[in-house]
Amino acid sequence: MSLRQRLVPYWLLGPGLLWLILFFVVPMYFMGELALRSGSLTTGYTFDWAWANFPDSLSGHTEQIGRSFFYAGTATILALLIGYPLAYAIAFRGGRYRSLLLFAVIAPFFTTYLIRTIAWKTILSDSSPVVSVLQTLSLVPPDGRVLATSGAVIAGLTYNFLPFMVLPLYANLERLDLSLVEAAKDLYSSSRQAFLKVTLPLTMPGIVAGVLLTFIPAFGDYINAQILGGTQQAMVGNVIQSLYLNQRDYPEAAALSFLMMALILVIVSLYIRFAGTGAFMGGDEGETT
Amino acid sequence: MMRGRGRRRSTALLAVAVAMVTLAFGLAACGGDTVGGGNENEVTTAKGGPVSGQLTISNWPGYMDTGPNNTVAKFEKATGVSVDYIEDVNENETFFGKLQPQLEQGESGGRSIFVVTDWMAKQMYDLGYLQEIDHADLPTVFENMRPQLQSPAFDPGRKFSVPWVSGMGGLWVDTAKAPEIRSVNDLFDPKYKGKVTMLGELRETVPLVMLAEGIDPVEATNEDWLNAIDRIGKAAESGQIRRFTGNDYTEDLTAGNIVAAIGWSGDASIIENPNAEWRMPTQGCSLWSDNMVIPVGAPNVGAAFGWMDFIYQPEINAPLAEYITYIPPVEGVQDLVKPELAKDPLVFPTPQFTRKCTDQDSPPDIEPVNEAWQEVITG
Repeated sequence: MSLRQRLVPYWLLGPGLLWLILFFVVPMYFMGELALRSGSLTTGYTFDWAWANFPDSLSGHTEQIGRSFFYAGTATILALLIGYPLAYAIAFRGGRYRSLLLFAVIAPFFTTYLIRTIAWKTILSDSSPVVSVLQTLSLVPPDGRVLATSGAVIAGLTYNFLPFMVLPLYANLERLDLSLVEAAKDLYSSSRQAFLKVTLPLTMPGIVAGVLLTFIPAFGDYINAQILGGTQQAMVGNVIQSLYLNQRDYPEAAALSFLMMALILVIVSLYIRFAGTGAFMGGDEGETT
Repeated sequence: MMRGRGRRRSTALLAVAVAMVTLAFGLAACGGDTVGGGNENEVTTAKGGPVSGQLTISNWPGYMDTGPNNTVAKFEKATGVSVDYIEDVNENETFFGKLQPQLEQGESGGRSIFVVTDWMAKQMYDLGYLQEIDHADLPTVFENMRPQLQSPAFDPGRKFSVPWVSGMGGLWVDTAKAPEIRSVNDLFDPKYKGKVTMLGELRETVPLVMLAEGIDPVEATNEDWLNAIDRIGKAAESGQIRRFTGNDYTEDLTAGNIVAAIGWSGDASIIENPNAEWRMPTQGCSLWSDNMVIPVGAPNVGAAFGWMDFIYQPEINAPLAEYITYIPPVEGVQDLVKPELAKDPLVFPTPQFTRKCTDQDSPPDIEPVNEAWQEVITG
């Protein structure tokens, strides 16, 4: 290969790289630089390699970080439990209504995120029919409430991020080669076995994509906690907002954002490794078929 | 084989990236530029000019009457100025956070007037983000301003602020569900567990709690502030306080989620609950104004002055006051509004009505207090 030929892939990467540099690397640089400053609003923030911002930003906020994991994790699992059967039904039982059903999944996106979340505030308000039904079913204590509880925040997260779970799952299920399932049945596997041994493994890339697309934004979300939560439901996003806008500790806010990004990156890499799919690493397992 | 080479190459790339980042940071360290710290230019006095051209105003939602012949339209018709009236001040903190980087550069984001609360106006002024105002440029304003407003503690002599409206912080009570709530202390009564909200605004909620404990917020030490915050924090943790809110406490009152809230005197029009009533807390309320200020770099100050003078004519301010239902700053408006509004102590409070109230104040040392408060808010 001549040098010229070897450079071709890099030229092709060019536009994408430029995009990444402009809209990811450069902002990251400014954020990183901000995270290493110290001072106050009145004295000004001076760059002096203030690494202490990183441990400082964690202290006192571990509870909210743990909560973010718990909320985002629960919401992701719920979204998967709801989203998989939904995507499956649309893909295989949707028939000619397939596009319509898919449209119904995306339809809420035509209203802004904020409005949808505020709408849930009305739906779940203390004297609403929904809550009284839940009370009658003893799912909520008679003098209990739904709003301003962890349950409301998790429900809000699940609802808001469900389409992010359904769409990749659907895309994956739709491409599923049904003859493989038939072959499994021809070889005397029950429907359940065929699902567990053929369908599920083949849709792993969709599950991985859905889980990531749900978990990552849910982890950093602060709208649901702010609107549907109470005093004890703040997530790490709310902490960063408070640090930035209310305490105006820009460096600590930037440091905490960085740490959360790093944390997510670590978790995601571990997850991809253990989920056993190469789909995201451009690996080969996904392509063996 | 391929893999090994790929890995080596990516290691090399990573090394280059690390080197570049280190170098960049190193350069930044040499540069020694600062972010924040206030505008170092001398405080200037805003220079007036002809009332014409284009004027951009940032105000809070709900502070302007509506319709084709509202106050903005009247001003445009009277002067020929074209007004861009933006309702983008939802919270002092957030608004400041958004504009601070521009103000630091001596720019106002195209705006000639902001409307912010007393303490925020002071904070902006102290950072050099505001221009001073020559009273000679605003004859109508200073002739018609109510005397009580002419020399507030945060801006003696009104050097940089002109009140837009004033209001009181106190109790909103659902009288059908909790008729006996009259003091801020009642909000801590276990009877109302999970049924009360407080404002997330430090300078509103904490002084009201201090007043309820018999502490004068003006004289309060940092210790007093921290003690009050501690009390609120415990109530939040126990579930006594349902939420810390912004203006959205009105939704909770409308929906019947709560029986009482700390809230503002002029919000009756947005609370759709016939039993909701604003009550002066037994131990007193907080008093504040939202003020028009002229930021550094404000374009067309002439038109901004024209707007302020226009608003301060009683016959112009009266219909506005009827719409806003907060306390108008203009003398003589009381005689021009509908009789039932003229009698309303929340819009035209007598000195007797507000005798126990206190000006909104900041703690002596804001940083530790604010940090403790934010910890309570983001429990």
